[in-house]
Formats: sequence, structure tokens, C-alpha cells
Amino acid sequence: MLKGLLKLNLPSHLSLLLLLLISACSDSSDTEKSHDANKTPDNTAEVKAYYAANSSFFSFKNLSDLPDDLVWENGSELAEFGSPNAIKGGTQYNSLQDFPRTLRQVGPDSNGSFRRWILDDVSMSAAQAHPNNSNQFFPGLATQWAVSSKRKTTYIKLNPLARWSDGEKVTADDYLFSFFFYRSTDIVAPWYNNWYSTMYTNITKYNDYTISISIPNVKPDMYARTLSLSPTPQHFYKELGGDFVERYQWRFVPTTGAYQVKPSDIKKGRSITLSKVENWWAKDLSFWRYRFNPDRIQFNIIRDNAKVFESFLRGDLDQFGLNLAEYWYDKLADDHESVAKGYIHKTTFYNQHPRPTYGLWINSSKPILDQKEVRIGINHAANWALVIEKYFRADYERLRSTADGYGDFTHPTLTTRQFDIELALKHFALAGFTTRNEDGILINSDQQKLAFTLTTGYEALKDVLTILKEEAAKAGLELRIEVLDSTAAWKKAQEKKHDILFSAFGVGLEMYPRYWETYHSVNAYDQAFLADGSTNPDRKVKTQSNNLELVANPKIDAMIDQYRASSDKQEMISLAHKLDEALYDYASFSPGFKQSYFRTGNWRWIKYPEGFSQKHSSGPTQLFTYWIDQEMKKETLEARQSGLAFEPEIKVFDQYRQDRNRGS
Amino acid sequence: MFNPQTQKKLNRFCQIKLGYGSLIILTFILLVSLLAELLVNNRALIVKYEGTFFLPTYTAFHPGTDFGLDYSYETNYRELQKKFSNQQDGNWVLMPLVPFSPNENHTSGSQFKATAPSFEQKHFLGTDTTSRDILARLVYGTRIALFFALGFTFCVYLIGVSIGCMMGYFGGVYDLIFQRLIEIWSNIPFLYMVIIVFSVVPGDFDMTSRIGLLLLVMVLFSWTSMTYFMRTETYKQKSRDYVAAARIMGASHSRIIFHHILPNILSTLITLMPFTIVGAITAITALDFLGFGLPPPTPSLGELLKQGTANLRTAPWIIITAFSTLILLLALITFIGEALREAFDPKKFTAYR
Repeated sequence: MLKGLLKLNLPSHLSLLLLLLISACSDSSDTEKSHDANKTPDNTAEVKAYYAANSSFFSFKNLSDLPDDLVWENGSELAEFGSPNAIKGGTQYNSLQDFPRTLRQVGPDSNGSFRRWILDDVSMSAAQAHPNNSNQFFPGLATQWAVSSKRKTTYIKLNPLARWSDGEKVTADDYLFSFFFYRSTDIVAPWYNNWYSTMYTNITKYNDYTISISIPNVKPDMYARTLSLSPTPQHFYKELGGDFVERYQWRFVPTTGAYQVKPSDIKKGRSITLSKVENWWAKDLSFWRYRFNPDRIQFNIIRDNAKVFESFLRGDLDQFGLNLAEYWYDKLADDHESVAKGYIHKTTFYNQHPRPTYGLWINSSKPILDQKEVRIGINHAANWALVIEKYFRADYERLRSTADGYGDFTHPTLTTRQFDIELALKHFALAGFTTRNEDGILINSDQQKLAFTLTTGYEALKDVLTILKEEAAKAGLELRIEVLDSTAAWKKAQEKKHDILFSAFGVGLEMYPRYWETYHSVNAYDQAFLADGSTNPDRKVKTQSNNLELVANPKIDAMIDQYRASSDKQEMISLAHKLDEALYDYASFSPGFKQSYFRTGNWRWIKYPEGFSQKHSSGPTQLFTYWIDQEMKKETLEARQSGLAFEPEIKVFDQYRQDRNRGS
Repeated sequence: MFNPQTQKKLNRFCQIKLGYGSLIILTFILLVSLLAELLVNNRALIVKYEGTFFLPTYTAFHPGTDFGLDYSYETNYRELQKKFSNQQDGNWVLMPLVPFSPNENHTSGSQFKATAPSFEQKHFLGTDTTSRDILARLVYGTRIALFFALGFTFCVYLIGVSIGCMMGYFGGVYDLIFQRLIEIWSNIPFLYMVIIVFSVVPGDFDMTSRIGLLLLVMVLFSWTSMTYFMRTETYKQKSRDYVAAARIMGASHSRIIFHHILPNILSTLITLMPFTIVGAITAITALDFLGFGLPPPTPSLGELLKQGTANLRTAPWIIITAFSTLILLLALITFIGEALREAFDPKKFTAYR
């Protein structure tokens, strides 16, 4: 469910918005008070009525109704990860560029970079994909599960020991409530409304700790669909109503995971701290016991990336991502004092994970950009090769499509359009842009300039765009760069007001790529086509969806529908390839770059298990397998004072490296 | 041309060496920056090709095909120069002193990164983090900042002086209403307004209109402080006999304000001017530093400062050049201001010196 998450790396900051935010939250506490005065709402009856009204979806049966032929699994044969030597305790110091705009997990502004620390990486689902083998699952809230393809149903036995962080039991009711919650329009999250309404057909409660979940079509990754569902704390959302967004703005949602945010640890605009749940129910559970080692994780708000780096060098922060070449090679070079003396360790880890889709998302509903030839021309005018070679110092590779990194599902031969001025000019000419004006920019017979706004929310990557701009000018294309605050840029894209967007979707670990969200016409226009299949002349652009390229093509729609309905892996693979070809042909996405590893620098007191991380991990902190050696921290800080040196550590872990040219 | 009083003041100004010298240097910088295209540019000054002379600096772009090259985009004159000097068949190219444009990424190595100053590469002040020539960015950035500041000062004075003088001259209800309006208006935080306005400006505005808009927003929120000075000064002058005399002789209001009162309050006006300019330069630099000024890749002092602070350790030449330029500019203008103040001070023998 990560699909909607824009990677908010290195955003710039609007302190003004923060001020507005602070004033907004003081408003909300006022409303809360007035609500308290009018008695807290309770939706228990409403939920019951909803279950009754949708009795075909919400079923209540007895244990005896469980089929007899089920083969129960528990994932115990999988290898545990993390290290038994991990030391518990200590405080990890981290930074955030922007204070989280809300503690809600859904609804407006909830999709920020902090969410993974309270939801995606921390909370537990019934069972989770093993980071070393994404097709197998290790137990989380469930003790056992069984799948019946025939019935398109997964049966789950929950662990009776499971507790929310506020001490309440996790029961089957919380699973049922998930469907009430995510289907509610009160949460202002259309994507969730749609997903929970269309992707499941039934949930059955057998007893407090046994449920089954059914899906409409058998999918090759059926497990992922059902087992990775998380329960929703019904007792916490009793007050769910039209004022959900304000009412729950700063209330921490009880979690099944190891870390919670206490109200006293929210220092708005300054810092926010995660603290370990006391007596966390899963602390001795296999697959969970060697992880989540620090007692506290403190995030200080540091807006400027240069300052974050300086804080890291001072030892105020424990880790720093070194993915950018300028940090890896220049600012924290191997001969940097802290590295040479062994205080800071540098690590490169090759992982296998679908890559964030960095590239140019071209809005094909805009005038001029609605011409395919222009879009093809733009593809040929984008000199990604130069960016990768000179700006990223050949550390990165070219992304091939938005479906890159899915194994068999990724098209085996499809390549990208290369930077080629002649070809770009040829395609621009086919769209009527034949003559250059006095600045060398192409114009058509109506004197329209071939000029587009290139919007981005990535302040740190604006130099990439200036390089593209200079190169594109050679092909007679003018790109006007617009660097916005990350939130503002995303809002603009969600309202489909962009011409060309430079952005990326963070992609979760899944078996096959998704197309519906980004390429189906229902996410591009309200009523894209008339009943007879022709284009609806009065169609309106649909906002707040992820079809950022406004792709609306009946053939692509048909393939996506078939792909979504298909249960045959081979058929899905061939459909995915055909879709990739059709989208390549449509040319509304200019694939940018990808990195097949992550790089990080950490002070030597941050310890990692052997092998550093797991095959499918997306970053060093994702699995929480590291720990803090507090003795060593003391020792290192003293050594830094006295100048004592340790053995330097610059390591490369390439056990999961794939052949460069196969384009993992 | 000037009345003897003013002439005397100007003479006095010329006697103050520091201020006078600063004015000469600043004027020189302004003039040079006007001709920046001839000094810092990736377009050649003169190209002699097949017996014809080309002067590409201010003309429309010349595609490579104009000079027998095989591409239709803007000629790379540096390479053309090398090519011609290798061929030695009478064609030649004369490049400006700094043969780089502020926006092009030019590296001799294989990577775009900050490189230290090098005379050999003609990057006299080094390059920034994406291999753009710092001198080029500095020159064009300074030009934008300076002319922006001058335009800003002109507009602010036009509005501030007119309204301020009217308030002082007419007084009464008019003064009262305007004072309240100004009090309200000046309480709107200017920086936030710029940020808000710029976050909603459509991106398809071209560069000039964006600069114009920034100017407009800044002027809209900055003219108020001028009115206070003008109002009090006018009040003072209004009660003098010469105003009464002019009025008896039948002079119109506008004639009295602009021909009689204004010249008498000129000293306040002129002494304040340099500080307004300094304020404008600082404001636009600060806005760029914060990322709310001119869109990339417009060269700007603020953007250079930002890069410099981000690369303090690895590329100190960026911060050094940007910072020294800013200090130089602000110091020159402040010196001029101090000298003007002294020259226009009616009490010649004050302790101020």
C-alpha cells in the first residue's frame, strides 16, 4: 500500500506553512474541547449496523465452519534475521527535514516521509514478506494461516497475545473494522476507499482470533494481498466522524509494533521521538526479537541538508544517507578524517527492490503535450545519459520504465529512447514545430513556442533539471524549471496542473507492477469515454489520483482490467509486457535513473548484523536490525577528543548484486 | 543646472574621498555589467568565416550549420575556435575574456562538480557544484541584483514620496485615513507575502515577468516606511513662510509640493536612498538563499551563497567569492550613503566625520 507514497527526500521547507499548521492545530484542540463538552461520539452501533447492512461482505461463523482440507502454514522454516548479539537500549538520533504535518495514518498530509516510522516499517500485519524471499511470509500478528485458491480465501489464526500499544487486545473485530474504516468517506482518502471496496469480497469472523479474507480473483501474490493487511484499532476510532481529519490530527494511533509516539515527545516544529512500547507483546517473538533495538529514536527537525550533514559529522546524528555522489566522493571522502580514523563507517549495500520511478511525468492532457510526436520528441531531448554520467558520476543506471525491477514481469528487451537531437527535431517537426526562433527554441506556424514548465518538489535535485534544460535547448525545447516546496509540488501534480513533473513514486516490494493507479483512464478523467467508446468531449480531468500522465486509452484500459482480473501468472506477465510496450508507444514518461544499491555512513557505535541488511530491504534502517553500542559511543567520543584512531571500515556488500546489464 | 545650494552640496560630496571613490567604482561596475555580454559569454565576439564577419553577441542565435558544422543548435564557439585554429585557413573566432555563459555546465573532466579556480581552464573563480563558471554567474547575478535594487528604489520612492508628501501637505482627515491604512498595510509581513505569492504564481511565467512580479510584490510591501519620513518633513516645511508665499501667489498644490517643498527635503531623500538599495539587494539575496526568489537556473548571489554554505569544506571558493562580492557591493553603497548624508547635512561642522 505504498503506491501513493511520494518519496519526500530532501524537501525544502516553508516555515510559514508550519506556522499555519501550528495555528491550525491549536484550532483543532479547541474543537476537541467543545466536542468533549458535548460527550464523545461512539460509533459502535453504527459499525454494527454497517456490518448487518453488508452481510454478504461481513460474515460471522463458528470455528466448526472452517473447511477441513486447509493446510496451515506458519513460516517457521524461514531464516530469522537480525542478530542475537544485538544490544537493546540507547537513543538513536535522527533528523527530519520537515515536521510531520499530522500523526494520522490516512487522510490529507498523512503520506509524508515520517509515515514509515509510525506505520509502514513498524506496524505489524498478519504475516509479512520475508526480506530475503518476497514470496514467503513470516508470522506477525498471525500464528498460522492457510490459503485456499479454490475459494479465493486466506484463513488466518491470530496470536491471542497480540496487544495494541495502549494495552488493548488485537482481535478479529479490529480486522473487520478495517473495512469499515477504510471504506468510510470521513477519512478523506479516496485511494483507500477504492482499494478496500473493490479488492476484497468477504471477511469472516470465526472467533475472536480466527478470520478469513476473500478476494475477487485468484492472484499469483494472493498472500501479499491478504496477509499483509493490518488491523485497525476499533476502540481508538470510536469517534470516527465527519471531523476525522481535525479530531485525529495529532493523536498517535495505537500500534501493534515496537515504537509509539508519546504526547510528551511531540515538540512541534522542533523534534518528535519514538519510544519503545513497554513490554511490547512481540519482544520475544521469532523474526521480531532481534530487531527494534534502540529504546528511543529521536528526530530533530533540521531543514537544511548541509546542516544535517554537519550535525552528523559532529556526532549529533548517528547515520547519514550517502546516496548522492557529492557526499560519497567529496564531502565524506574515504580520506576524510572521521572515516580514515575509523569513527565513521561507510557502507554500500546492493539490494533488490523495485526502484523509485524517477523520471519526467508528462501531462498529456495539456495543449501541445497532447500530441504524441511532441512527447516522443521530449523523450529524445532529455539527456539522462549525461546526467547519469557526469552529475551522478556513473553511479546510477538508466531507469527503463515505471515497471522496472519486477523480475519476469519487467519487459526483457524494451529500452528507453536515447538522447538524440536529430530524432527529437524530427518528431517535433511532425507536430508542426519546424522553425527556431531567435533564441533557438522551436515555434510552430501559430508562433507557439515549444516551451513547458518542468515542476519538481526535489530541491536537492534541481541541478539535474538545469542540466536537462541546457541540453533540451539544443533540440529546440525550452524547459522552465519550477522548484516548489515538496508538498506544494505534489499538490500541483495531484490537481493535474503540471506540464511536466519530475518526481518518483516510492514503490513497495510487490511481485508485479501496478498499472491501474497510474495509467487507467478512470484515474485520468471523469467519464473519459462515451458509451460508444469515443472520447468524451466534455470530460473533466480527475484530480487527487496518481494518473499523473493523464493516460486514457481504451486499449490500455482493457489490458489493465484484464491484468487486474487475471489469476494466471504467465498471462499477467505477457500483459505486463504488452502494457509496457503500449506505454512506451504513448511516450508520456521519460524514465530517469535508478540506483541498484544504497549507501550510508554511520558512526561506529551503530552496529549492523552480519551481511549488513537483507536482499529486498530498501534502506539501512527499514528493518530495524541495527543496534547502538553505548560503551563504544563513549569510547569513540573520547577517542575523537584524544585523536586516537581505529581501523577504518569502508565496506561493500554485493551478495545480492545483480548483473548490471540485466537491468534488475 | 543646480541651484547654488545643491551645487555646494555636490561639491562637498566630491570632497569626501571615500564616498566619491565608491561612487566612481560603483558606476564603473554598473557600466561594466551592462556590457557583461561582451566580457562574459559563450557567444563569440567576432567570427570570421569564409570571408564574412559575424558578431553573434547581441543577434539571434547562429546554428552550427552557419559555420559549416553539422548541428542545428547554437554554435559552440569555444570548439569552433579550436577547430578554426587547427585548420588554419583564415577563419578565426574571438572569444570574450570569460568564454562561458552563466547557465552552461562546462567541465574538462568527466564529472560535474565544483572545481577550484584555474586560469588554464579560464574558470577564473572556479566552478560551482554543477560545473558552471562562478565568475559568469557572479557577474550576471550582480547585474540582476543591482538593477533590481535600482528599480525597486525608484518605485518605492515614487510611491512613498508622493503619498508621504501629500499626507504631510494636506494633513487633516486625509492624513489620518492614510496613516491608519499604512499602519495596517505595513503590518502584513513582507517576506511571507512574497513566499505566498510566489507559491501560487503559475510556472509558465517567463523570466522577465517573474522578476517584474517579484519587484511589484516587494514594492507593494515596502513603500510604507518612506511615507513616515516624507510626511514629517513636509509638515515641517509646510509651516514655513515660503510655502505660504507660494500659496498666496496662486501656485497649485502639485507645484508647491514638487517645486517648492521637495527640493528642500531632498537631503533626507538622498541620504536614505543608499540604505534602501542595500535593503533591496539583501532582500533579493535572502529570498534566493531561501529558494523563493528567481527560479533556477537564474544566476544570483543568493543561490551562490547557498551553494557556498552547503559546500563550505569541499569548495570554499564558492562562498569566498559570493560573500566578498556581496560585502563589496554593500560597502560601496553604504560609503556613498554616508558621504551623501554628510554632504547634505546643513550643519557642516558637526562632530560627524
